[in-house]
Amino acid sequence: MDAAQRPEHRLIGGSIPYIEGPLKVSGRTEYTDDLKRPGMLVGRLLRAPWAHAKLLRVDVTKAREMPGVFAVLTGERYPTPFGVLPITKDETAIAVDRSRYIGDVIAAVAAQDELTAERALAAVEVQVEALPEYTDPRMGRTRVDAPIHEKGLNHSNIQKEVVQHFGDVDAAFRSAAATARVRASFAGVTHAFTEPQCTIAEATPDGRLTVWSSTQVPHYLHRSLSEVLGLPMHRIRVIKPEVGGGFGGKSDPLPHEIACAALALETGRPVKILFDRDEVFYTNHGRHPTFNDVQIAADAEGHLLGYDIEAVIEGGAWSSFGTVTTYYNGVMAMGPYRLPNFRYKGQRVFTNRPPSGAMRAHGGTNIRYSVEVALDQLAETLKLDPFDLRARNALPPNSTTINEFRITSTSFLKCLSAARDRSGWAEKWGRLPYGQGVGLGCGFYISGSNSPIHFTPKMPQCTVHLKADMDGGITVHCMQADIGQGSNTLLAAIVAEVVGVSLDRVHVSPVDSDVTPVDIGSYSSRVTFMMGNAARKAAEALRDRLLEATHQLTGYPRDALRVGVERYEVEHRPEVGVSYMEALQQAMQGTGALQSTGAYTSPPVGGTFKGARAGTAPAYSFAAYVAQVSVDEETGSYGVEKVWAAFDCGRPLNRLAVEGQIHGSIHMGLGQLMGESMDYRGSRLMNPSLLDYKILMPQQMPEVECLLVGDADPEGPFGAKEAGEGPLVATLPAVANALYDAVGVRFYDLPITPDRVLKGIDRRRAEGRSWKGH
Amino acid sequence: MHLDPFELHRPETIAETLALAGRLAPAFDYLAGGTDLLPNYKMHLNVRPHLIALDRVSELQEYTLDRIGAMVRLADLDRDPEIGRHYPALAEAVHGIATPLVRASGTVGGNLLVETRCFFFNQSYFWRASLGFCLKADGDRCHVVPQKEKCYATFSGDLAPSLMVLGASVEIAGPDGVRTIPLDAMYEADGDGIRRVRLRPGELVVAVHLPPAAQHLRSTYRKLRARPSYDFPELGVAVSLRRDGDRLAALDVAVGGLETYPRRFPAITEPALGQGLDPERIGALAQAIQAAVRPVHNTAYPPDYRKRMTGVFVRRALTDLWDRRGAS
Repeated sequence: MDAAQRPEHRLIGGSIPYIEGPLKVSGRTEYTDDLKRPGMLVGRLLRAPWAHAKLLRVDVTKAREMPGVFAVLTGERYPTPFGVLPITKDETAIAVDRSRYIGDVIAAVAAQDELTAERALAAVEVQVEALPEYTDPRMGRTRVDAPIHEKGLNHSNIQKEVVQHFGDVDAAFRSAAATARVRASFAGVTHAFTEPQCTIAEATPDGRLTVWSSTQVPHYLHRSLSEVLGLPMHRIRVIKPEVGGGFGGKSDPLPHEIACAALALETGRPVKILFDRDEVFYTNHGRHPTFNDVQIAADAEGHLLGYDIEAVIEGGAWSSFGTVTTYYNGVMAMGPYRLPNFRYKGQRVFTNRPPSGAMRAHGGTNIRYSVEVALDQLAETLKLDPFDLRARNALPPNSTTINEFRITSTSFLKCLSAARDRSGWAEKWGRLPYGQGVGLGCGFYISGSNSPIHFTPKMPQCTVHLKADMDGGITVHCMQADIGQGSNTLLAAIVAEVVGVSLDRVHVSPVDSDVTPVDIGSYSSRVTFMMGNAARKAAEALRDRLLEATHQLTGYPRDALRVGVERYEVEHRPEVGVSYMEALQQAMQGTGALQSTGAYTSPPVGGTFKGARAGTAPAYSFAAYVAQVSVDEETGSYGVEKVWAAFDCGRPLNRLAVEGQIHGSIHMGLGQLMGESMDYRGSRLMNPSLLDYKILMPQQMPEVECLLVGDADPEGPFGAKEAGEGPLVATLPAVANALYDAVGVRFYDLPITPDRVLKGIDRRRAEGRSWKGH
Repeated sequence: MHLDPFELHRPETIAETLALAGRLAPAFDYLAGGTDLLPNYKMHLNVRPHLIALDRVSELQEYTLDRIGAMVRLADLDRDPEIGRHYPALAEAVHGIATPLVRASGTVGGNLLVETRCFFFNQSYFWRASLGFCLKADGDRCHVVPQKEKCYATFSGDLAPSLMVLGASVEIAGPDGVRTIPLDAMYEADGDGIRRVRLRPGELVVAVHLPPAAQHLRSTYRKLRARPSYDFPELGVAVSLRRDGDRLAALDVAVGGLETYPRRFPAITEPALGQGLDPERIGALAQAIQAAVRPVHNTAYPPDYRKRMTGVFVRRALTDLWDRRGAS
């Protein structure tokens, strides 16, 4: 084939079905719970039925004596605190001295079977002294009687406070021609992944501990196990089997993982802990319940002059990622618009409720809702089309935000045009009959947190090893965590693309810390960008060895050769060349299996002020979504009929995967918007089940049109950026703004359930306002 | 979660079933489809040591348009076009129950007698223990309406309202023989979420009877719930009517998902007979029914919303049925 006619890439940029798909759809995939070890015991956790209590006595004597019970552990056995962020380690495997929420772990048992384990838990005798319960984050910000953690700011329950001011926001508001304000509240939501948490641990007489766990971040789990159990990391082996969804909920090292390992050490037998669904809800680490207040100032032409933002987010019982979340609830408002002045005050407050943590579009979802709804209001005030307002303020490529985020590629303007054109915006917005409407929401998100959490930024965040051996296969080793997002497939595709072999030659090794070099895991939408670059480098190194062998075999100089399909050939005489196997055998002469390494280290970006690293990334994704809704004015129920999702993920590497991520993100975003809610009465979670926690049903999914309009990113692998979290954030405000177009009501409390829609319509009518605002 | 051990009995005739029931009462539950009972058992809700499975009792699976056996699976009704043709309300109710998987297992009798629901009751043992339990299981107080006398758990079956407005009766076998009573008489109107049916110990619902007149009714069943499948009703409205020219010759309305029992409103609907319907009369009927119902806060949607939706759903159903072309 003539070079000019050849597509630039054979696999990359196409639609590649997941390589693990056949195993998954035929039920052959092995998740952690499918694994069995000889003599394996059942581990169960005793959970606190009190919201906040001092543990006076936890007596496990009777439980330990029961037949079939192998170990019962309490908190003092392994009291070392741990946590995903090194600066806020405050969780323990099992509660020490105090329990902090209904569901907190106060003892762990290993027994011959589940029934025996449950009976042993029931035999644990606990004496407590009740402590005051704190369940409203807004009330915990001043001095309280019994702070949930000792370190709370000024004897309060504030875990983290962030104050940032760039430019002069007061001056910006004084000079503004128009302002808009949104004060909103957001119920907590949780990930609701399919596979409940599950961990197996086994201590062997050679002094080693092996842990299989359903985790997104094997490496941080590895570190936490070492710290808490007092074993050096090289004596611990962490294996991540296939994971049935994570969405952020399996990115913290979790107490049950450590407790399971502790039980294994104690008993010398393999121990498995598998959660019931209600335990998944208590463990939570989902999206923070949030109150935010966003004020926006603009000049008469709609140029943004400044944001003034306050947020109070509810942390629940632990710190988790909370320090990051507190920053993100401000700085994730920084794009996709040019902004000269910015002020943010954010507080994360402990409560006696299940811990909040990272959830898909972590820290960026709720603030994005309020900003985009406020922009819709601003457009109305200024009598501007919402598209024009946003286009006027788009961040330019290769620019720097006022808080020193480095912006490289952005195709945000192309996103806006695509969404506007494809949705028929001009004919629909403000023109549809009562009850129907369209709305615009935009977004941006980090393509990988620039800062690794656990070690110096000079260490690579990802390393990929390749091994090509006599069978002609190429094995990829990397600790990246495929949790269903397609990263195994991407690894294989990048290697096959670069080396020039068919996809089935590439085998992605299971994640195993004995074998796979460190990648810091699946969070912050970092995998495609960082692992992709590392894989590309490793594959290029392997390819170069094969091209060198081709040179040896053909005599043509290295720079005259090119990669074909299963073949290396002379650029100007393609009939001259050698097969992949021939080149491989030549390259292996005297060395045996070929090995190569590639690594990715993020570039030095961002400012030097306190908190400057939060939100820095090597690249950012951008989005412009239009949603169309239809509302039943008598019942308040509504449906989202279609979403036009224009998204800039740079160049999509696997269109099938990217579109899947967009569909999944819209599903998850609509869930939070339309019905999902961690419902509490005081400290008590009322709906810890998949029947009562209302994730979106397939019938509620709108038609989705994916518009992948991004230009190549200069640093992304093959020009790619993330597509895992950014596709979520624009969903919620697009629908809320469409509801306004449909019925003339703004909604400031999520989820927007039908009863709230109806109340909103009632209120508008009572106030005598027309439904048509524009 | 684990199931506590129980002994499973699998009789093959009604006579054997009743004999077993007589011997084991009250330490047993009948097991029909199990889609509700077994999850409840996993949560240790009123677990009994014996289960009498009804799946092998062939008499309970007999099925004609006039008489539907208690062990007929919901999926069988769902896929029978004759049901849709003759009893639209029943077909709509069946189709909306839970999910295809649940309907494949769930039964007519099981849905009629489905356990009442409440978010203080349908919780794990751990959850309930942390609250100190409730009147309906292991405890002595109600948390919905705090007091110690009455349970407010909500009746959440879909079939009962739809069968009621079709004039169904229920055939019950017991130690003293067989009796057939109107379906609404099986439910305890002044009872509560615990004492909710008028069945004597050991009695077995054998079949539902539908009168010939049911096939001449226009009928519909409308359901409010958070999501279009899976969820139990937050409100179920069944309406049937027969139109004789411009006069209403028959009218019945029943609701479920609101109170401890499925409820009819003869005092409101009977005075409307003999007249025609127009938007004003329909509105008045809907308002009267809305005013009569008393939902409490123990499901996903707030009670004031469910009450208001009762009016909307009744009005819409009446309007559609009255105006419907083609039918009787």
